[in-house]
Amino acid sequence: MPVDHVHPVSFDPTVAEHDHYEPAPREGRAFRIGIGGPVGSGKTALVAALCRALGDEVNLAVVTNDIYTTEDADFLRRAGVLDAERIEAVQTGACPHTAIRDDITANLDAVERLEERFPGLDLVIIESGGDNLTAVFSRGLADSQVFVVDVAGGDKVPRKGGPGVTTADLLVINKIDIAHLVGADMDVMTSDAHRMRGELPVITQSLVDTPDAPDVADWVRKQLV
Amino acid sequence: MDVTALLLADSRFPGGGHVHSGGLEEAVARKLITVERDLPEFLHGRLWTVGLMAASFAAAAAHAARRGVHSGYWRRLDAELDARTPSVAQREASRAQGRGTARAGRIAWPAVAELLAVTPRPHHPIITGALAGAGGSLPRDAALAVAYLAVSGPASAAVRLLGFDPLHVNAMVARLAPALEAVADEAAVTAGADPSELPAPGAPALDLLAEAHLRHHKEEVRLFAS
Amino acid sequence: MKADARLVAEYRDGRTILRELRSMAPLTLFPKRTGGDAVVHLVNSATSPLGGDDLRLTVIVGAGARLRLSGVAATLALPGQHADGSHSTLDVHVERGGRFEYLPEPTVVTSRARHTAELFASLDDDARLRVREVLVLGRVGERPGSLRTTQRIVRGQVPLLHQTLDVGSLRFAARRVLATEILVGEDPVEPAGGDWWSVTPLAAGGALFTALAPDAVTAAKDLDRARACFPKMSW
Repeated sequence: MPVDHVHPVSFDPTVAEHDHYEPAPREGRAFRIGIGGPVGSGKTALVAALCRALGDEVNLAVVTNDIYTTEDADFLRRAGVLDAERIEAVQTGACPHTAIRDDITANLDAVERLEERFPGLDLVIIESGGDNLTAVFSRGLADSQVFVVDVAGGDKVPRKGGPGVTTADLLVINKIDIAHLVGADMDVMTSDAHRMRGELPVITQSLVDTPDAPDVADWVRKQLV
Repeated sequence: MDVTALLLADSRFPGGGHVHSGGLEEAVARKLITVERDLPEFLHGRLWTVGLMAASFAAAAAHAARRGVHSGYWRRLDAELDARTPSVAQREASRAQGRGTARAGRIAWPAVAELLAVTPRPHHPIITGALAGAGGSLPRDAALAVAYLAVSGPASAAVRLLGFDPLHVNAMVARLAPALEAVADEAAVTAGADPSELPAPGAPALDLLAEAHLRHHKEEVRLFAS
Repeated sequence: MKADARLVAEYRDGRTILRELRSMAPLTLFPKRTGGDAVVHLVNSATSPLGGDDLRLTVIVGAGARLRLSGVAATLALPGQHADGSHSTLDVHVERGGRFEYLPEPTVVTSRARHTAELFASLDDDARLRVREVLVLGRVGERPGSLRTTQRIVRGQVPLLHQTLDVGSLRFAARRVLATEILVGEDPVEPAGGDWWSVTPLAAGGALFTALAPDAVTAAKDLDRARACFPKMSW
């Protein structure tokens, strides 16, 4: 191989750049934020926190992609943070990954139903079904996306990378209140996360300590400007 | 078969087909299908009923798109397919897939604009056939693509729901080749017929499965939309 | 055997009269009257349909008239000497304000029968129609022959229902009896059903009841259950 050979695609996650693919035009529709991450990392709890934090100031609705039950939608309804009519549950044909990335039809249908029901909607939060570290939202579906991991998954998760950790517009490291219980080193997690993500932001949080996720809510507000 | 029809028949075509099982999920829930040898009869029955009807309308739509028709034709085709789909659950599944197919397809084949102007939520076989025709496919190729989709969707759902060996299931679909060709031949014959004369094979068992699927989804949740 | 029978009902002086009643063997029409509505029994006067038979019955229900056509015994579709099977057609036109009910007894598709049955109904905008069909695949323990039924119902210029059922070549999930009932001109219905029966509103008006049953008795019960879904039904 010649020494000056440069592979057209960089596989080094540490130099991964933000995906500059132009999202679908925003005029006349709600801003769409995708929230993805592994099973149990706290996606639904974060969505509930954002609804609580933003519900009074932002006209918002939620699409949930849980693969097995409408439990996520029920959780949000029971939490009383959002009217049931503002939640759409999507059937993913047992392929949650496909439904947010390769074939986003069912999610676009759900977003359109919400927009028809609530004209003037500002924000639609799309929660993916729990998936692995390679799951990311199509830019055709989400204008901006959050990837949620938690300390219980082990402090090696950010280092492992994958498109979710490296390219998401925001990485949230959840449940930091139990880090000491599961033997996760927060310094390692955050420094790995920053190293993998370059300039892209990282927020660490505990919904036990701050139930309304103020840092993430602030980040969302900036997206809506 | 030309490239347009191949694209439309591809399970990677992003028109939302992957969330529809064509009644298979309900059949699985009722234990009508439990082992691999139960699957071929389901696929065969589906192909010669829902599949033949869909293929016939796809062929007619492709024929119409190729020759250019006035909007009244699309309205009539839509009404005739409605009349052949007594199950409200089946109509909804067909229009949901049609809408998704239209959203994805109109970017690639914009010539379907007039159809979408009069039927914004078109039936799946009609928009698929029209997209095929707009892309230059022959009516028979459009019919074959739609007939194939009528069995490939449920076959894939069986793999996902029951863990059937995908290599075996693929072979089952391959063994349907003569039947798929025969359905496409039959559909091509009526491509230029008046919409009222298109075939109308009914499938009461599939209709009942579709109705029950929708009802159960309200109570206990399904992984597929149909 | 070829037959071309005809039945014309009209509304006159507050009741329905039968202006024309033309039987032709094997299609024999027996008028029975109850109240202001006309009731006619359709009797197969010969063993029919046999292979080679071509039977046609035309029914015209005039404006405001009310006619019920019912069967008295099950129809057995039997094999005949002709390879092309047997064929029967019912052609119905119901004018404005008219009402037609067609309630034949079950059709049993015997072994090696090849029968085609067609129903074409055209309705004026506010005409009403009720059609029942019960198909039994073979007598008990018998492999059924083939039966193809086609129903096409059009109101004004709009098709309400068009359905062809191929019985015999395809099984109904191992159930022997298919019962359907079409109602046009009723109040819209909500979808309802159980595992093997459903009531579903048609896209352009009217409703279809469908049941798949292991036997005719269960099918009859299902039909009763469906009727309960039409509380305002005034038939």
